[in-house]
Amino acid sequence: MARAYDARTTIFSPEGRLYQVEYAMEAISHAGTAVGILSTSGIVLAAEKKSVSPLLEPVASSDKMHKVDSHVAVAVAGITADANILVDHSRLVAQRYSYEYGEPQPVEQLVRRVCDMKQGYTQFGGLRPFGVAFLFAGWDEQHGLQLYASDPSGNYGGWKARAIGANAQAATSILKQEWNDELDLDGALKLALKVLSKTMDSTTLTPDKLDFATLTHSEAGGVAFKLLGNKRMQKLLDETTLDNTEDD
Amino acid sequence: GINAEYGTPPHLTSTLNKQPNRFIMSIMEYNGGAVVAMVGKGCVAIASDKRYGVQAQTVGFDFEKVFRIQERTFVGLTGLATDVQTMASKLEFRTKLYELREERQMTPKVLAHLLSQLLYEKRFGPYFTEPVVAGLDGKGEPYICAMDLIGAQELAKDFVVTGTCTENLFGMCESLWRPDLEEDELFEIVSQCLLASVDRDATSGWGAVVHIINADGVRTRHLKTRQD
Repeated sequence: MARAYDARTTIFSPEGRLYQVEYAMEAISHAGTAVGILSTSGIVLAAEKKSVSPLLEPVASSDKMHKVDSHVAVAVAGITADANILVDHSRLVAQRYSYEYGEPQPVEQLVRRVCDMKQGYTQFGGLRPFGVAFLFAGWDEQHGLQLYASDPSGNYGGWKARAIGANAQAATSILKQEWNDELDLDGALKLALKVLSKTMDSTTLTPDKLDFATLTHSEAGGVAFKLLGNKRMQKLLDETTLDNTEDD
Repeated sequence: GINAEYGTPPHLTSTLNKQPNRFIMSIMEYNGGAVVAMVGKGCVAIASDKRYGVQAQTVGFDFEKVFRIQERTFVGLTGLATDVQTMASKLEFRTKLYELREERQMTPKVLAHLLSQLLYEKRFGPYFTEPVVAGLDGKGEPYICAMDLIGAQELAKDFVVTGTCTENLFGMCESLWRPDLEEDELFEIVSQCLLASVDRDATSGWGAVVHIINADGVRTRHLKTRQD
């Protein structure tokens, strides 16, 4: 019954739904899970790297995590090609702001601009929406560390912890139970790993299946966005497996 | 300026033709300034004065003319102060995007090319600034180059100069520079070249800053100079 109304993005169904937007969200639910967790000393972005084929050349840069400006980074869930357009657009937006104002763009403003672009594709042009959900992690002087999530409709929200992509509901229920406002960066890293280990369907976790990153701020050093290297990742895996076995 | 309020001083007007005093300098001399860059052994130096002036009057002595655009690449700009600042901002914009997209630093050669393009874009209404690029490339090789206001590049193996006292700077550098200068020697020589040159230029001086770039990092020193 819904099929008659999904040909055009820019119209509502009789029930008041936008089917193309919902279908875009369906596309995202097949993409590798990404998790964002706010802690007292930084934000953790973690993602499952879904490798399509062992023949694929490993790329130096990640297709799940991107730096947008010195003070903002994103984790991606969805159609990579769509994401690349939006990431590049957000980089331009951030630079245009700092060119004009001589300051880094406030994080929410940047998120809003990206979401406004996504929203446009649900209302004008007859083009399909972007099949991408983002987790934005950033720091600005006004509001400190912030985590935002956006979806294909152009909606966004600020979160303490959030999961997008495959098994997001399962991930969210774990986050609801385990997140607390006293988590430090290490605690957040372990929680992120715990969540991903439950949502990923692989039996053993190895660094090459995961992309972990932290965004931190210090008075002296400013904002730092770091992807965890293999060694650090392995160390985290070892530490967390030990924790889990102790619980059992 | 002053002449508009009080009239031109009598000793500066022509008694015959009553022409107004030619106190308006060329647009490139309006703010004044000097930048010099030199190649050393596995290192480069780039130095500038710190004066911010409006024709004859000095308005500030903390004016940044040399900018660290990449980790190991600096750009120094002289000419009209507003264009110095604008070009620095434009470069930051472009190099930031480059860094984010390519996930690597822009080499000095590429930066110079970009700078040249940005200037030539405005060929028939240019930015009144003549920049100098100084840095180390990926392999640690020194690179310097100068440009005119519409982007004509001049590559050099020894030194490049720009500003309102280039004649002085050329003379000093030609006399004092020699190849394979070690860092400490390079610092001394580039400082002497700059100071002696700006001291004979009314619109340059009021402090100086010298950056020495090598494979390990950058050393920045501020020089105490004549405050006139």
